[in-house]
Order: sequence, then C-alpha cells, then structure tokens
Amino acid sequence: MNKLLNKSMKAFVLYAGIVLACSIPAYYAIIDFIWKHELKEHNRIVSATTWQNLQALSLSDKELAESVALWNKLHPETQLQPAAALRPDSTYNIYRKNKYIPAKGWDRFQGLVTYFTVNGKILRLTQETNIEESYETIIAIGGITFIFFLILLGGFIFINRRISKQLWLPFYNTLERIASFDLHKQNAIRFENSGTEEFDMLHRCLEKLIAGNVAAYKQQKEFTHNASHELQTPLSIVKFKLDLLHQSKPITDEQSGLINEAHQSLSKVTRINKNLLLLAKIENSQFSVKESVSLSALLENQLSLLEDFLEDKQLQVQKYIAPAIILPGNKVLAEVMLTNLIMNAVRHSRPQDVLMLSLGEHQLEISNTGAAPLNREMLFRRFGSSSPNTTGTGLGLAIVRQICHLHGWRESYRFKNGFHVFTIAWS
Amino acid sequence: MKLLVIEDEIQLAQSIISYLSGENYTCEYAGTYQQALAKIEMFEYECILLDIMLPGGDGMRLLEEIKKRDREEGIIIISAKDSYEDKIQGLQTGADDYLAKPFHLPELSARVYSIIRRRKFNNANVVRQNELTINLLSKTVLVNTTPVLLTKKEFDLLLYFIGNKNKVISKNALAEHLSGDIAGMLDDHNFIYAHIKNLKKKLGEAGCANYLKTIYATGYRWEV
Repeated sequence: MNKLLNKSMKAFVLYAGIVLACSIPAYYAIIDFIWKHELKEHNRIVSATTWQNLQALSLSDKELAESVALWNKLHPETQLQPAAALRPDSTYNIYRKNKYIPAKGWDRFQGLVTYFTVNGKILRLTQETNIEESYETIIAIGGITFIFFLILLGGFIFINRRISKQLWLPFYNTLERIASFDLHKQNAIRFENSGTEEFDMLHRCLEKLIAGNVAAYKQQKEFTHNASHELQTPLSIVKFKLDLLHQSKPITDEQSGLINEAHQSLSKVTRINKNLLLLAKIENSQFSVKESVSLSALLENQLSLLEDFLEDKQLQVQKYIAPAIILPGNKVLAEVMLTNLIMNAVRHSRPQDVLMLSLGEHQLEISNTGAAPLNREMLFRRFGSSSPNTTGTGLGLAIVRQICHLHGWRESYRFKNGFHVFTIAWS
Repeated sequence: MKLLVIEDEIQLAQSIISYLSGENYTCEYAGTYQQALAKIEMFEYECILLDIMLPGGDGMRLLEEIKKRDREEGIIIISAKDSYEDKIQGLQTGADDYLAKPFHLPELSARVYSIIRRRKFNNANVVRQNELTINLLSKTVLVNTTPVLLTKKEFDLLLYFIGNKNKVISKNALAEHLSGDIAGMLDDHNFIYAHIKNLKKKLGEAGCANYLKTIYATGYRWEV
C-alpha cells in the first residue's frame, strides 16, 4: 500500500524530471546562440582588423600578392583570396575532421566570409574559429541536469521523511489512538491539541463521532439490561399462574400436558432473558476478573453437577484434566463458560456418543461427535445458531465469547476427524 | 402458621398467597416499605418473604430492621436480582434463603417449609408422616424402623414433596429444583424419572405406602 506522502512525492519527482528534461534543449539553444553570436563578433573584429592593417601597410601590388600568399600559408584557418566582385558578408557553421590530431574526431567551426578592397583589388577573407561541438554541449548540459535532478530527488526524500516525522506526527498519533479504541471497554478517547487546523478539526469530528457511538452503545446496553429486568416480573407472574393452574381440580390429561408445554417454553424465555442480562452485565464490566480461578477444580465440579445429564444420554466421557491449572479470572463467569460449553456438547450429542474434555496448561478443549462442520462465522454470535425447535437459547456460545473477551482468552471452533472441537486458549 | 409476603407486585403476591394458603399457612400481605414495617412491629410471623426491590424504601434496610428485632422468624428474599453479589449480601445481612425470580411456587413452598422447620426446632427436627420418619439434620429416613438409604438428590426430592403435600408438581419444577437453569438446556427431563423411580422403589421396598402419584406423565403429587 502506498503511503500518502509517497503519492505526493511521486508527483513532485515526475514534475521536476519533466522540467529538468525540458531545460536541456533550452540551455543548449541559449548557450549555442551565445557561442555563435560571440564568435561571429570575434570573426568580424579579426576580419576588420586584418583589412585595416592591410590598408595601413600601403603595400604595392606585388608585395600585396606575396603577403596574401604568405598569409594563406601561415594561417590555415583563414583564407585571403582575390574575388571577382564585392559581396555582402556571410556566415557559416561547419564540422570538419581534425587534420592534425585525428583522434579528436570532428571539430566544429564558425566561419565569416568578408569582402574588401585593398589597392583596388577585391579580396575575400574567410575567417574560421573553433566552436564547441553541439553534442558535447548537450552531453555536458544533460550531465549537469541529471546531477541536479539527483540532488533534487535526494532533497525530496529527505524533506519528505522529515515532514512525515514532524508534520504528520499528530496524524499518526490520532491513528494509533483510534486503532486502540474499543467500544466495549468504554474508555473515551482524548485527542491532544496538535496546533494544526486540519488535525484539530479531524479530532473534533472524531470525538463527536466516538461520543455518539459510545452513547448509542450505552443506550443499547442499558436497554437490554432494563428490558430484561422488566421482563422478570411478568415472567414470574406467568410461571406462578401456571403452577396454580396445575393445582386446579379436576385436571385432565390434556390440560396437564398443555401446562407442561407452556412451562417448557416459558423456561426457554426465562433463560434467554437471564442470558441477555448476563451479557449486558459482562459488557458493563460488572465482573471483576482478579480472582484466582482453579479451572481444574471447577471443571471437576461442573462434571459432577452435570453427571445426571451425561448419564442420561449415556455419553462416553473421556477426560484429561491437568491438576492445578489456576488462572486469574472470575469464578462465576468461568463456571458459566464451562457449563455452557459442556451442555452445548451434551445437547448436540446423540446417546452413547463420545465427549472428550482435555484441560492442559494453555488450553481447554471440549469435543463431541458430530456429522458435519458447523458454520464457524455464526457459531459464537448472538442467536447465530438458535432454532425455534430446540431448547437452546442461541446465546450460550455468545456468552462464552464475551467471557473469553473479558479475560483475554481466545475461543475457537474446528471440525476434526468427526468431532466438533471447541477450544479456549490462554497464554 | 403465619407468613408475611412483602411484595409490591400484587399479582405475584396473590399467587404466592393462593398457593401457600392451601398448606396450613395464614398469609398476610404488605405492598410497601411502610406497610411492611407496621406489620412487623405489630405481629410475629413464622416466615417472611421479602422482595428487596420495594417502592418507598430499600428492601435491604427492611431486612436490617427485621433482624434488629431478633425474633425467630425465617426470612426468604425473593428478588429479580440474581447476581452472586446480591445473594451474598442478602444472606450476610441475615436472610435464610435467597430465591431469584422467576421461580416455581413449589420451590418457594419447599423452602418455606424447611426454613420454618429449621428455625422452630433448632436445627434438630424430625418430620413424621405415618410410617415415614425424616431427620432433617442427619438426613436419614426411616420407614417404621427400617432405615432407607437415599442419595442426596433422592432425599432432596423427598423433602420437596413433603413441603408440597397434595400439590401437583410439574416435571419442569422438579428439574429446575435439582439442576437450576441447566435443566432447561435439554429437551427432555428423563433424569427426573430415574431419580423418582429409585426413590419410589427404595421407599416401597422398606414398606412405605405409595404416596407419590404420577399425574398424567407430566407431574407428580405427594398424596397424604
């Protein structure tokens, strides 16, 4: 994933690259123009001086011819030759092979052709000066530009790092705080004043958003708590009335059966209600987890309490319980967790199935025979696995999850070798 | 025997009174803190059923008031609160028992019965019914002179029935009595049959008459 700063840097680097690349022909054009202009100037000065000097010598025709011949021998880069007519000056630019040092390759020359008359004779002076070759200029400019580009790039990276460390520091702090925020734990976030308008605005918006969420969450929890509480009385009334109805005389087989069925459904509602209340209490952090809980003893105790149910289904219980597994936690909740897990296994077993319990130093495993893997996603959710035709409340495993969450334990499920395996792990 | 029901919900109080009145109890009713206090000051009761969430005052304070008088009466808290802390607090303040709503009326009746027995006879009392003798303290049962060896659960069930004479007890109430909430987690309550069958068999073998009647396979009644 790209960091925000890298994205902006990419754009800057690309822009700098384009600008610097465009500057290469521009620099070349200017430098070449200056070169040519100055050398033209130089050639003109040399030509004019030559002409003046020749006139000043006041040579005879013969002497002039000899001088011109001598000139041409001594100055290979200039030519002084008689011409047919006076013509306007002209310039040219030419590449020539280096005759003296062939290794140097091609040389570039800026030339000026001037015409003047000495002693009534028309002379043509071709004056050439060595000029820097175009490709060498381009290489030099390109090289320098590239070096500057590298300097810019290095600067960008350096500045970018500093910016990300200093300028964006409040942003990363904020990010860290949001990441560590847990709605269940109820510790409100306080953002420090960063002194940057945008960040402070972000903080204000976040605080508002979080406060809204916390309030909604609290309201929802209170609602569950209050609703469950309010339900206790009407549930009690129904239960009492059914108990009284059972005493009416005479009572028929059918009536008795109806009362019994009503009792069973009522008992399910009562348990759902109690479980919702328990969940709300766990979420409200009403349980201390600072007692030391002996899981080994609790598990043995639970097994003896549940003996009736295990025997009733004739389950083959295979248990391995390591002695003296003592964890910090809440005893009541640990008991609830064990009951829910064991009863969950018992309820979903057929008679004579195998139920395996293993308590080790770092984990507790409860397995029961099963036909097909269960939906792992839904399993630990509230009402995730409930069905109207069972006595399960659909909250048992959700409570197990909440208890694990509170204690910092990890709950998991897997299907292995025809067994549903529920694992609670701690470190 | 006189009972006082302190409960703000009239429907609940009526049901409790209606159920317990059939068991040789005379029930009186108080719906508020002040009413309850007035009754306690004027009369003596064998057992007080106290809802600790009362309008016009905290039920826990009322409990303290009752305990101050240092009388013989047993106190059972009936409350919608069922947390461990609430129970501990109630029992430490001096209540004899704590029942969380919703519960079965036979459960309440059985507890009232055993608390009155415990209080009245200083923990060493014996229940006699025809040929049956039950020692509550040593938890032993005699039929005439033959001892009957019962398991803890069978003894529990027997006391439960004695505390609900001539009442129909649903299987559901029995299951909740023996296993609490866990009972509801299973579809069937077959384990109840097993315990009842054993209890009947043991009593029968010792020569006890068959008081325990099955009512249409959905409940039981201890008929005297």
